[in-house]
Amino acid sequence: MQDWISMPLVGFPLVASIVLLAFVSNADESMRKRLSAPIRMATLVFSLVLLTITTGMFFQYFGNVSWEGISFNSYEFTHRYNWIESLGIHWTVGLDALSFPMVWLTTFLLPVTIIATWNEKNGAVYFPILLAMGGALIGVFVALDLFMFYVFWELTLIPMFFLILKWGGKDRKYASQKFFIYTFTASVVMLLGLITLYFFQDPVNPLQYAGSMTGRTFDIPTITQHALIENSNGNWYLGANIQKILFAMLMLGFLVKLPAVPFHTWLPDAHVQAPTGGSMLLAGVMLKMGAYGMFRLPVSLFPHALQYFQLVLMAIGMVSLVWGAVVCLGQTNLKKMVAYSSVSHMGVILIGIATMQPMGWAAALFMMFAHGIISPMLFAVCGAFKHHYHSMEIGAMRGMAKHSPWLATSMMFAWMASLGLPLLAGFVAELMMLIALWYFLVAEGWSVFWMVGPALVLAITAAYYLWSMQRTIFEGGDETQPPESLHGESVPDIANPEKLAMIILAFFTILFGVMPWIALDMMHDWTIQIFEGLILPILGGFNGGA
Amino acid sequence: MSNITTVEAFGDGFISALCPELMLFAGLLLLILVPNLGRGTFRIPGTQIRVPWLLGGTRFKITSDPRLPAWIASLTLGGAFLNVVYTFSQGLERVVIVSESGKELLLVNGFSRVFEMIFFGALALAAFSSMNRLQVKGIGARVSEHELYNNRRQADFYILMVTCALGMSVVALAQDLFVLFIGLELASFSTYVLVAFLKESKVGVESGMKYFIVGSVASGVGLYGLSMLYLWAGSLQFSVLSVAFAESGTTALPLIGIGFVLVGFGFKVSAAPFHFAAPDAYAGAISPVAGVLATASKAMGMLGLVRMLLIVAAPESSDGSAVWLACLGAMAAITMTWGNLAALGSDNPKRMLAYSSVAHAGYMLAALTAVGAWNWDATVSGDAGAAAVAVMTALLFHLVVLVAFKLGAFLVLSVLESEGGASRLSSLGGLAKREPLLAVAMFIFMISLAGVPPMAGFLSKLLVIMGIVRIAVGDMGAEIADGGVFVLADMHWVWWLAFLMVINSAISVFYYLRVVVVMFFDEPEEGREGPLPSGWQVRLAILACVLTTVFVGLAGDALIRICEMAAQSLNYNW
Repeated sequence: MQDWISMPLVGFPLVASIVLLAFVSNADESMRKRLSAPIRMATLVFSLVLLTITTGMFFQYFGNVSWEGISFNSYEFTHRYNWIESLGIHWTVGLDALSFPMVWLTTFLLPVTIIATWNEKNGAVYFPILLAMGGALIGVFVALDLFMFYVFWELTLIPMFFLILKWGGKDRKYASQKFFIYTFTASVVMLLGLITLYFFQDPVNPLQYAGSMTGRTFDIPTITQHALIENSNGNWYLGANIQKILFAMLMLGFLVKLPAVPFHTWLPDAHVQAPTGGSMLLAGVMLKMGAYGMFRLPVSLFPHALQYFQLVLMAIGMVSLVWGAVVCLGQTNLKKMVAYSSVSHMGVILIGIATMQPMGWAAALFMMFAHGIISPMLFAVCGAFKHHYHSMEIGAMRGMAKHSPWLATSMMFAWMASLGLPLLAGFVAELMMLIALWYFLVAEGWSVFWMVGPALVLAITAAYYLWSMQRTIFEGGDETQPPESLHGESVPDIANPEKLAMIILAFFTILFGVMPWIALDMMHDWTIQIFEGLILPILGGFNGGA
Repeated sequence: MSNITTVEAFGDGFISALCPELMLFAGLLLLILVPNLGRGTFRIPGTQIRVPWLLGGTRFKITSDPRLPAWIASLTLGGAFLNVVYTFSQGLERVVIVSESGKELLLVNGFSRVFEMIFFGALALAAFSSMNRLQVKGIGARVSEHELYNNRRQADFYILMVTCALGMSVVALAQDLFVLFIGLELASFSTYVLVAFLKESKVGVESGMKYFIVGSVASGVGLYGLSMLYLWAGSLQFSVLSVAFAESGTTALPLIGIGFVLVGFGFKVSAAPFHFAAPDAYAGAISPVAGVLATASKAMGMLGLVRMLLIVAAPESSDGSAVWLACLGAMAAITMTWGNLAALGSDNPKRMLAYSSVAHAGYMLAALTAVGAWNWDATVSGDAGAAAVAVMTALLFHLVVLVAFKLGAFLVLSVLESEGGASRLSSLGGLAKREPLLAVAMFIFMISLAGVPPMAGFLSKLLVIMGIVRIAVGDMGAEIADGGVFVLADMHWVWWLAFLMVINSAISVFYYLRVVVVMFFDEPEEGREGPLPSGWQVRLAILACVLTTVFVGLAGDALIRICEMAAQSLNYNW
């Protein structure tokens, strides 16, 4: 097995982007314009190399790795180097069924984003920053060391901050700072939680990979192993009170990133101001960092606390789901509406986690994946809309079906996928979540009446999506009179690279809608593993469908 | 643990032990002599024979070069810095310099060497980068390069730099409070003059006066405390004082004395409430000097605090924690919060950096507080000594890397200053367009100050937080593994200092990001669209700072180990 293959996944895009940026940093304006096309091509090729690697991993090209049936806390393609030995910090990389779909998603979205924003201005700097963003995101998902995880977690902020600040909309100055400060604040609290967790390890028994100065380790597999043994004996790892507080501190960082109501206010601002490429990566992958982190750390380490906070999480998830959808109803800005719909969908993930059912967790994992394909398409449509009609207001453009059939079709497809049309990827996740919620309600002995909430939200989602489509695509208005924001220009359809990106995204939305098992099988196997290892010993019995 | 070599002043081994300081002496003499070399002659009395003796007269071309003092000073300080680094690679020895009566005067060990590294590094960078900074006419005027160099006061400036380094290294080596105080005053007086060096501008003189007056008062109070300690213990040797403190330290006289001494050092580290002069001093001084105040001078104050609190007033009280614990904890909390809140509201980037350095002083005081949480000699926990070393390591590491990014930020401002003032945030506007590499450097310094990975500032903040948390948690981890049950409230309250640090880091992002946004987003001010003033020296110094910031952030293990070694050598009981 070629374990080394996971190394270039992180290192290559980061190094390549730094080299490219250093290359253009001394070029003047006209030189940059000329460099733009070759650099765009280079980043596209680099990102396709990454996609080839991850796809090869899936098809077992690099050794006989079966992604199905990976047991909990065991990883593929692992390698470990000493980094800061005195603190027990290692460069530890590994993939399991939780992280691999996310890594593949990142490498898949990177070339799609480059294609969708083919003509972005100041491309000589823009495309390398996208590449750096991709490298940092992959780093978050493959890191198996708490320090490394945190470094990459924060590193993602820097390229995104510049994407919003340099290529964003009118209020980009405010939005980029709000984005940075909001998520940074949450993650430093998380950092304190991580450090406190680190020092609650027992230094007396020699720990594997412990630091020479501290006697503790940042190694996630080691910590998870200790927690697993302790938790499955029926004890609370680190004791009840401490486990609860650490759980809350870690969760704060992840909930803000997810984002869940009431920590969601940075998201609409960031999304509306971000350029299309930034939005696509932000919604597609960056939000999932929160959900990924929840599974990787608090859920895996502190299942007792998860059970203790189960209803709180469920409530936050429900509120996010409903609030996101209701706010969507009142939006007149297309991109803001899509941003709030993301909040609503992230609520689905949180509910899935809070059900503490393997089905719910699998639903959450698949939602992360499906939303990662659908939401970039939503934002690509928004970006094309803005680019061609110079406005994001719903109603600024009418009768789009007549003069821009490509954009109208893409918009319709993306909107339908997002509201959960059967045979498209989003539907699978939502259906699974509803079933898991049903199991949860039955198992807890609650009234099934509570199902009305999520069901109603589905109706609301359909309402705002259909309403916006009706206003933009079909409503005729006066066809001879193009909207004022065009200033008399002719009405163009989307450009060829944009069409290509839409086709790719639509294809995979259908693929994972019709054949969800491609990704779902490994997720489901993993959730069964973690459920049997972690939750069953707590519950003392199997209480719901798998 | 290495053995102590005792060396008498000017005895065997004296030169090798104090090599960096002797280099500074030599540099000082050169600075005085070399710029005065000329075609001066000496007439033998009663004859017409003139003997050339090289002093005075028309200066030679090379000795009249105004850049010469800067070169001498930079090479001296840089050489001293490299010498210290070299001694680390040679393995450290412990050498005590004693007086004829056998009193310990100076101690050379890992701890003092790390501080010398900080002092010489910071001053060498500042000296090198101000090579083309000193102007004849005050700041504000655009002057030609020729005018910049043609400054008669060049030699004075660099002499003060070197004496400053000398004073600071005496503070680092001192084993006697009186020797320490002499070094402190030598360094302080040099910095007072350096702050007011731009006598052409009103701001410079005002800030220099302010800094001098407040500093003198602080020194006076410290000296008074010193006299009380002498009255109490009959000696100012650290070894004598610490023994005396262990016996009768919690009586009124030594506590008041130590309190007064701490005021003197508190002013140097600009801890609240002694920080009021700092923003004015930083804003009025030229940026490289302000950078020295924020790094080397701060490290010197911190060194004094460490010596006083951990050597003399070591945690010995009955419940195992230090007498000063609550007081210092409150001071740390107030300092970091005050610094950050004040920085939020300041539009002047130099004042902003000054307040941010107040905040960083708060973080370091929090680390110091944590060391005092337990009595290390008692066997409260087997982990205790190692935890204390970890906190000291963090403190030293923070002080070392602060030189890279704090001084670096001041150097970037220095480039802007030489085109006419950097007293408004808007003067940074459009820097990304005017000189992208400088803007990227400033960006790296800012996020490093804010503690964003993967910069050195993150690693240092992480180490400090880790040290505090480790002490707060203590050996609970081991006891939990043995079946003990704890709640969060069982942790020592110093954990909340770590929490406050984390919240403060989040607040600080506001004002650091504001600088970045102005550089990358705003348009240049009117009259500032053109290229920035040239000067490769300051850019080279900035590049060195950037590389250190990034490299240490990515691979800080070697530096952590050096600092750990140094921390262990502070107190061999740990």
